[in-house]
Amino acid sequence: MINKILIVDDSPVARRMLRTSIPKDKGFEIFEAGNGQEGIDKFKELKPDVVFMDLTMPVLDGYQATAKIREIDKNAIVIVTTADIQPKSIASVMELGAFTLLKKPAKAESIVEALNKVEMKLKKLRENK
Amino acid sequence: MANETVEIFSDEEKDILQEIMNIAFGNATADLADVVDIYVKLSVPSVQVIEIGALPEYLRTTIKTDGTSNIIEQKFWGNFKGSGLLVFPGGTERDLMAILEDQDREDISNIQMAALEKGGLLEIGNILIGACVGKVSELLDTFVTYSPPQVLQGDTNNCNFLIEQFDPSQTAIVMKTLFNFKEKDINGFLLILTNHESIGWLRKALKNFMDSYE
Amino acid sequence: MIVSQIFDMLDAGIVVLDRDLNVFKWNRWMSTHSKISAEEIVGKPLFDFYPELNKSWFLRNCKSVFTFGNFAFISQKLHKYCFPFKSYYNSLGYRFDFMQQSCTLGPLRNDSNEIQYIYITIQDVTEIVAYEQKLIEMNIKDGLTGVFNRRFFEPRLEEEFQRHRRYNRSLSLIMLDIDHFKHINDTYGHQAGDYILKSISLLVEKKIRNVDIFARYGGEEFCCLLPETSLDSAKVVAENIRKQISDETFHFKDKEIRLTLSQGVASLAKDIESAEALLKKADDALYAAKNTGRNKVVALQ
Repeated sequence: MINKILIVDDSPVARRMLRTSIPKDKGFEIFEAGNGQEGIDKFKELKPDVVFMDLTMPVLDGYQATAKIREIDKNAIVIVTTADIQPKSIASVMELGAFTLLKKPAKAESIVEALNKVEMKLKKLRENK
Repeated sequence: MANETVEIFSDEEKDILQEIMNIAFGNATADLADVVDIYVKLSVPSVQVIEIGALPEYLRTTIKTDGTSNIIEQKFWGNFKGSGLLVFPGGTERDLMAILEDQDREDISNIQMAALEKGGLLEIGNILIGACVGKVSELLDTFVTYSPPQVLQGDTNNCNFLIEQFDPSQTAIVMKTLFNFKEKDINGFLLILTNHESIGWLRKALKNFMDSYE
Repeated sequence: MIVSQIFDMLDAGIVVLDRDLNVFKWNRWMSTHSKISAEEIVGKPLFDFYPELNKSWFLRNCKSVFTFGNFAFISQKLHKYCFPFKSYYNSLGYRFDFMQQSCTLGPLRNDSNEIQYIYITIQDVTEIVAYEQKLIEMNIKDGLTGVFNRRFFEPRLEEEFQRHRRYNRSLSLIMLDIDHFKHINDTYGHQAGDYILKSISLLVEKKIRNVDIFARYGGEEFCCLLPETSLDSAKVVAENIRKQISDETFHFKDKEIRLTLSQGVASLAKDIESAEALLKKADDALYAAKNTGRNKVVALQ
């Protein structure tokens, strides 16, 4: 079960767009961070079930933050949200160990689809424990 | 100056526009790969509101106006109205031409070569400006038409000519993004200048855009 | 109704293509110039009729318009033309293989604002290109003789000088001057003088190579730049010219005119450090030729 979601994006508008597109009826707790470093700090503090991660951010970018979070928890689920969907960009993001990639602006349906996949993954992880 | 710009364009509106540009330019790069074989890296776009009076100085400091830059300018028209400016450092013409990769370049004179390089710049400019402005328009639920692009020599006089299309009492919204063509290692940047007439419409369009995220 | 009339009456080509680049519309201007009727081509792939357009630059521009909804401007300077149409006339008498065209591509949207078609407009710019060429020619050629003018020659001299010196190649320069030209003008009139200038230009051009640059330097003085040519070879060229002119009888109206040329030749050498110095040396040689009896070639080592 997903309880906590962390959105890491330097743009308050982007955070708002994502937050409002996440289904409201599931009772998720949604947290926000404004850059990669803040994202890592909140990840440690809140232990969210899934992280939505932007790529281009000040202080620490999404590539570095994703790698760091996966280092802290090798099972951490990071969904990269980016407008740059050039094949080469996607490939480099997946290499970092991102769970999946959502094209910005993310539609509600694709978010639900991604979260469903996360649920399945979480279930598997729990069974393997 | 600061007080007045706040009145015209709020920080939130700037944030929305910035995110729209971020999305638009990112999406544009993916579509660009369909049209020309390049891998583009883009910086986080910035949005600034600048008084026309301060625009020459802004352009002079942003663009190296020492005659070495290649500047391609293209106007666009519609609800969303203004100019796109693409700036490449001098000496990158041949590499840019190579992106197009289809010019028969055997046995041509210097005069023809100069014309070809200019043609290559224009075509790259037309595609890049069209891709970025087109995507911004699409997200704002409008579409624009374009004038033919032109190559400006990178000197101050030409910047002045650019500024003349704005009413000096007004303000312009300047959107800037840096880009890098990975394989060719060419850096450049894109400026989109919208004039005052568009601002009223733009505010409404930004509001409409965000309304779907309430 | 009115719009469709304009579509066929317009003095420009309009083609509409669908996403698969099949022809959807083909206006009368296009039928007239292509000799392909709308009935024949509509519904068929454009490339069936114009395979030469199936090139990356054309495809890229079409794709760009379909993808971004922007416009593509296909300049005559870069591509000369899109559609190979016969070039009929132009008032300046230039010949072009095909009609010179300036074309624009743009998007056409359906009711839901999706780009369904693209249009291409084709403008005949042959006349403008002819004027452009005329202007370029006027700028670089001498109006009377049709050989290059001094304005064109001097930068070429500078360029060739730099290039040959850099690569240590031989480069020669001949200065030519018609002997007693004032006498021809005084005796036979200025029209005869003009005729002589033209005739000599024609004769000299036949004696030199395409890569040589022959220009009227001023008055009755000409110069000829010979790339990749040693002093000895340049002397041979000059001597050929001298002989040809002195053997020739010029006919103007019912008059027979005989004349001679004096020439000075110089070549790139270590002590010549600028294009001007090369010019000066050839000019000194010409002066020596004039002072030692005319109708001769003098080369200064």
